[in-house]
Amino acid sequence: MTPVTTASRRGRAAVDPPKVHPPKPSRPGGAKRTARRVERRWALLFATPYLAHLVLLTAWPVLALAYLGFTDYDTVSSPRWTGLDNYTRLLRDEAFWTSLLNTGYFALIFVPLQTVLALALAVGLNQKLRAMPLLRGAYFVPVVSSWVVMAYVADAVFNPRLGSANAVLGWFAIDPLNWLDSPVLVIPTLALIAVWKGAGYMMVLFLAALQAIPQERYEAARVDGAGAWGRFRHITVPGVSGTTFLVLVLSTITTLQAFEQVFVMTGGGPGDASELTVLYMYRQGFEYFHMGYAAAIAWVLFAVILLLTLVQLRLQKRWVHYA
Amino acid sequence: MPIRSTAMPARRTVLRRSAAISVALTMALTATACGESGAGGDGRTTITLGYYAEAGGPADGTMRKLVKEFEKANPTIRVKIESADYDKFHTRLRTQLAGRKAPDVWLSDGVLVQEFAGRGSLRDLSAYAAKLNPDDYLGVDLIKKGDPKGRLFGFPQGAQSTALFYNKKLFAEAGVEEPTADWTYDDLLAAARKLTKDTNSDGKPDVYGFRSYSPSFVESWWPMVKAFGGEVLGEDGKVAIDSPQSRQAFDWMLRTMYEEKVAPDPVTTEALGKSQSLFPSSVVAMQFGIYARIQTANQGKVDFGVAPLPKGPTGERGDLANINAWVINRAAPGARADAAWKWIEYFSGEKPQAAWTDIGEAIPINTKVTRTPAFLSPKTPPADRKVFLDSLASADDLGLNPVWSEYTAAISEAVTAALSKESSVPDALKTGQSDAQSAIDRFRPAG
Repeated sequence: MTPVTTASRRGRAAVDPPKVHPPKPSRPGGAKRTARRVERRWALLFATPYLAHLVLLTAWPVLALAYLGFTDYDTVSSPRWTGLDNYTRLLRDEAFWTSLLNTGYFALIFVPLQTVLALALAVGLNQKLRAMPLLRGAYFVPVVSSWVVMAYVADAVFNPRLGSANAVLGWFAIDPLNWLDSPVLVIPTLALIAVWKGAGYMMVLFLAALQAIPQERYEAARVDGAGAWGRFRHITVPGVSGTTFLVLVLSTITTLQAFEQVFVMTGGGPGDASELTVLYMYRQGFEYFHMGYAAAIAWVLFAVILLLTLVQLRLQKRWVHYA
Repeated sequence: MPIRSTAMPARRTVLRRSAAISVALTMALTATACGESGAGGDGRTTITLGYYAEAGGPADGTMRKLVKEFEKANPTIRVKIESADYDKFHTRLRTQLAGRKAPDVWLSDGVLVQEFAGRGSLRDLSAYAAKLNPDDYLGVDLIKKGDPKGRLFGFPQGAQSTALFYNKKLFAEAGVEEPTADWTYDDLLAAARKLTKDTNSDGKPDVYGFRSYSPSFVESWWPMVKAFGGEVLGEDGKVAIDSPQSRQAFDWMLRTMYEEKVAPDPVTTEALGKSQSLFPSSVVAMQFGIYARIQTANQGKVDFGVAPLPKGPTGERGDLANINAWVINRAAPGARADAAWKWIEYFSGEKPQAAWTDIGEAIPINTKVTRTPAFLSPKTPPADRKVFLDSLASADDLGLNPVWSEYTAAISEAVTAALSKESSVPDALKTGQSDAQSAIDRFRPAG
């Protein structure tokens, strides 16, 4: 190409211009597109493990669960399509409604109690003292302990004959109580134990929120003559309201999904007094071979959790202050 | 661009290599998963054997020893053991069945055999068992009775039947005659009154004459309902607990707990340390118990005896039996099923049954072993173990069907509410019958 070009330059006026096709203008961005395409492929390759996990272990089970909710499936034979039968049976199933009521009762005690206790602990432990990390760690120990261990420890407290709770009642001449064996006391007792186990985690969340509140606000309030209660009410509570909202949502979801604790400690008893919804679902699926019915329960429970979370989200606009 | 053009082939190579590795791994995994025939390269057949036992306990130790002896006697069979405690074993088994990964042969609680058979998970053992003399084994008929067509879906492993356990020391201290085969429910109540003691005068008994209530209903309300002439499941397969006879039985139980106060009520039972610890800790002087309770009573160092269950108003004792059984997975291929049956046959033999008898967990199902001194003249109480054999001979099954766990739970929940005085007996029986029958009606057999 180069000699031709030189010759043409030399004799451009005398001779017809040589038929030289100008080089095609390279498409701007074409190379970029190719590069992007290649990069997309690599990105897809690197994302494959996550996507496989998402599809196989999340999306597929969710879709399968949706399908199973409309079938009679005993886990051994093939599922049989039964339409809405499982859902209509749920409406008439007293045991299911009892389990839902038990779960609601459990949540009513557990959620506010844990939130208040966790905040109180966080405020108490938000001090610059040497022993603080140790104390914070001590409150966190139940969080990392298994429910089996917790059940043994709780038995030492609530055992009707040997437990320390009844020993304390004895000091005040109160008759011993059958904490976990009484249909009336079992849910409050379980809620107390759950608070004991869960408060440490929520306390850490509150601690982080407390430390994010600017100290200037407290100093200004002090200058204005605000007392300890006033500072707590008007600075601390609004200052941690975002975290309080998070704690409320997490605690509600945790309660509605509670299983291990009742499975290990009461098995749903006495009678059906502590049969929570997830335990009932487990029994239907894994003890009575009604996997289709258990799937329907799971969907209803999901709807309840979603509804409650949406309500909480709507209400938070009225009381949560984001700094 | 140059950088990309020179780098790309290298990446393609990486890609190709990755793909090749993936394919190789997939093939390897598939090959591993396909090793289902059980026939290894050495010509041996490998079977998976599942059973429930406390890890490291006497039953687990004896079973493992017997498996080794079996392998020695059958060099062409290799046994892979899968064991866990009762709850864990059965939870895992249900998941394994769903994933088509259940053991080839497993020990099933007798009450669950029909649950698995009804869902098409078990192989009919009738053809295998036809080669054996049925008179040499106990419990075969009771297992067959559970199947509407009389097929044999499990072969007996060990038997449990009911008897009246009594604490000899407490009887002697109270000056009460020990129970006899002629005892009625009135005699039982009269003795319970004398045996109930408030030793520290706090207004509450420290020793109760009898344990009326137990969540283990085979040792509580079920035999009582039968003794009073009632039925839990009728011959037609329908729930029949809501009857005047059942009401009488439950009224008798309520009387022992709340009027006579000779038996702890359900809440007190739990508060005193759960129902199965009351007799071993001498908190109750008498209880209805299955054979396996001998172990716990001996662990409590109780000097005790056993007698036949008392007779009810109709003269019936209401004896019940549960036959724990070996079952073979229907999905096990022929060679593995045959090997599994060899294990069952071996375990039912005299030597393994004698070894199993030594643990004291179950009545041996080999009739020859039941006649040996090892069973009839044991070193530990109770001396008269023939009571359990007699009970087994006249016992009924526990109303077996494919939804046994569900329908009995429905009844149990309702009657426990009545026995805790949270509802009336007629209401509880009506609710229990209705809920239990619904569970049975909902079931659709496999296939």
